[in-house]
Amino acid sequence: MRSTMYSRMLFGLAIVLVFIWLVPVMWVVLTSVKPTNIINSAVPIFFDFAPTLDHYVEVFERFRFGRSMLNSFVTVGVSTLIVMIIALPAAYAVARMNLMHGDTWALVILSLRFMPGMVIVLPYFKIATFLNLIDTQIVLIVVYVAFGLPFAVWILRGFLLDLPKDIEEAGRLDGLSWIQIIFRLIMPMAAPGIAVTAIFTFVFSWNEFLFALFLTLDKGSTMPVALQKTIDLYNVLWGSLSAGAVLQLLPMILVVFLLQKHIARGLALGAVK
Amino acid sequence: MTVSLKNLRKTFADGTDAVKSIDLDIEQGEFITLLGPSGCGKTTTLRLIAGLEEPTSGEIYINGRQVNDVDPGDRDIAMVFQSYALYPHMTALQNMTLNLTVSGLSKEEANKKALETARTLGLEELLDKKPGKLSGGQRQRVALGRAMVRDPVCYLMDEPLSNLDLKLRELMRTELKRIHKKDKVTTVYVTHDQAEALILSDRVTVMKDGEIQQIGDPVEIYGNPANEFVAEFIGSPSINLIKADVVDNGIAIEGNLVSNRNFPTANGGVNLGVRPEDVILSVTESGGLKGKIEFTEPQGGVVHAFVNLDLSEKKLKNRDYLVVSMDVHESIDVGTTVGVKFREERINYFDCGTGRSLAETT
Repeated sequence: MRSTMYSRMLFGLAIVLVFIWLVPVMWVVLTSVKPTNIINSAVPIFFDFAPTLDHYVEVFERFRFGRSMLNSFVTVGVSTLIVMIIALPAAYAVARMNLMHGDTWALVILSLRFMPGMVIVLPYFKIATFLNLIDTQIVLIVVYVAFGLPFAVWILRGFLLDLPKDIEEAGRLDGLSWIQIIFRLIMPMAAPGIAVTAIFTFVFSWNEFLFALFLTLDKGSTMPVALQKTIDLYNVLWGSLSAGAVLQLLPMILVVFLLQKHIARGLALGAVK
Repeated sequence: MTVSLKNLRKTFADGTDAVKSIDLDIEQGEFITLLGPSGCGKTTTLRLIAGLEEPTSGEIYINGRQVNDVDPGDRDIAMVFQSYALYPHMTALQNMTLNLTVSGLSKEEANKKALETARTLGLEELLDKKPGKLSGGQRQRVALGRAMVRDPVCYLMDEPLSNLDLKLRELMRTELKRIHKKDKVTTVYVTHDQAEALILSDRVTVMKDGEIQQIGDPVEIYGNPANEFVAEFIGSPSINLIKADVVDNGIAIEGNLVSNRNFPTANGGVNLGVRPEDVILSVTESGGLKGKIEFTEPQGGVVHAFVNLDLSEKKLKNRDYLVVSMDVHESIDVGTTVGVKFREERINYFDCGTGRSLAETT
């Protein structure tokens, strides 16, 4: 009886929280399909309007969102992939291979992530200029790998430490090499952890603005940079800004939706519980 | 000799001496148990044989070949883990065939072999199930099957029955005995359960603090323990250790002669080790050692009586009461004063100072 009451209260609280979180999202979604005169109306109009896709057309035509989207997908997708390929064996080494001061090394690796972006963005800019990489996808991929890797190693290490060691030892007795142990045993067992880590890495790079702003101008710029162009000195194009924001949000929803089974399990165990 | 350990030592990075100089020769087809309390080094010894730990010094031979630097997968051994360590994302069949396919056997051949093994263990129905869908006992069988299917020269088993309930444990114990009798594969079995060790083994190795205390067949270990530790560790309820004096004509407890044996070397007196079933209580005895039955523990066929000995000071070394096993049909009521005698030929004598058996000194 008491537990039913308790779970009902929790459920009610969850609904309230979700509502609070979703109101701004709903506002952005609605704004993205409102005609400009309704958006700028002195009396707010929430639902009573004829929806339009004009702002979506505008972000693609005027703000070249198509190219920015492609840039975002390429830089974020490739950097996440590289991060995961390097992070898994690195995390395995730190978690399992009896390295001298393994825990200290894990912390040292994580501490690389503590550096405020603003401190290193100018040196990055100088280096990129010197290497003629400004405004390319490559420069952002390199930076996102450098910034995503320490965090990914740290989170994965936590997941790997939670896996039973016996199973790897059974694998060694079955004649598997280290690489086979990682790919045939660890990867399937750590799939939830790997999914969660990949999502964290992806989300960080996907939302990243500072490096993208400094290191790209036009050809290589990603969605957050393109979005910012809807705001100029005199105007905020609320419709275009909202349409761009919705476009930025959609892939995230898709990724989380596809991996939700793993995410739920991954968050329930491992380092990020 | 299937497995041979020469002067084997293992010191961990934190300085713990887990195994201190072990010498052990295990014969072909032998079932040998490493028995001891937690932290005695038995599992570390097993892991050293498996190659999961590197020895600090000493040599390990398997089938005459020194394997110190050989990978675990190339030692031709199979291990059953306490946790079973089944691969959770693979079916029972895949668990059993992984080693075979890794070592180059075709999938068909591997499956055929696994099926044969599964038949002997009654696993046919479970082969397409993943470990998560199996009960504890079934997982245990799959783990056993995974070891058996490889036809190794030696099985290493690390407390494989300790996660099962009592009934299942007894069943699997019998199963293990049956399999060993049939296949005669050398088996090194780690356990802290002395009953399991006595039932299963050809030879028992009792360990303490990283050292071997005694190696012998179960009857010898039980009947002639090498020291007080082995005497106490083996047997349930454990042996009674009683401090006695060496007198001119034998051994006495507060003047009551209990044995005619003589130990001139034991200056400080001797400790007698008397198993609960080797104590004879009588209600009619008038002279000699006496005591009162304070309480009893019925165990079905036998009753354990706890006797408070009528002595001026505490002579029992390891407990307050003398524990006596009685047949349930011949049990004596609580509160009765009884005469206490020991079966003289079964008494073990230990040096009071070192705790070592004095059997060799006479």
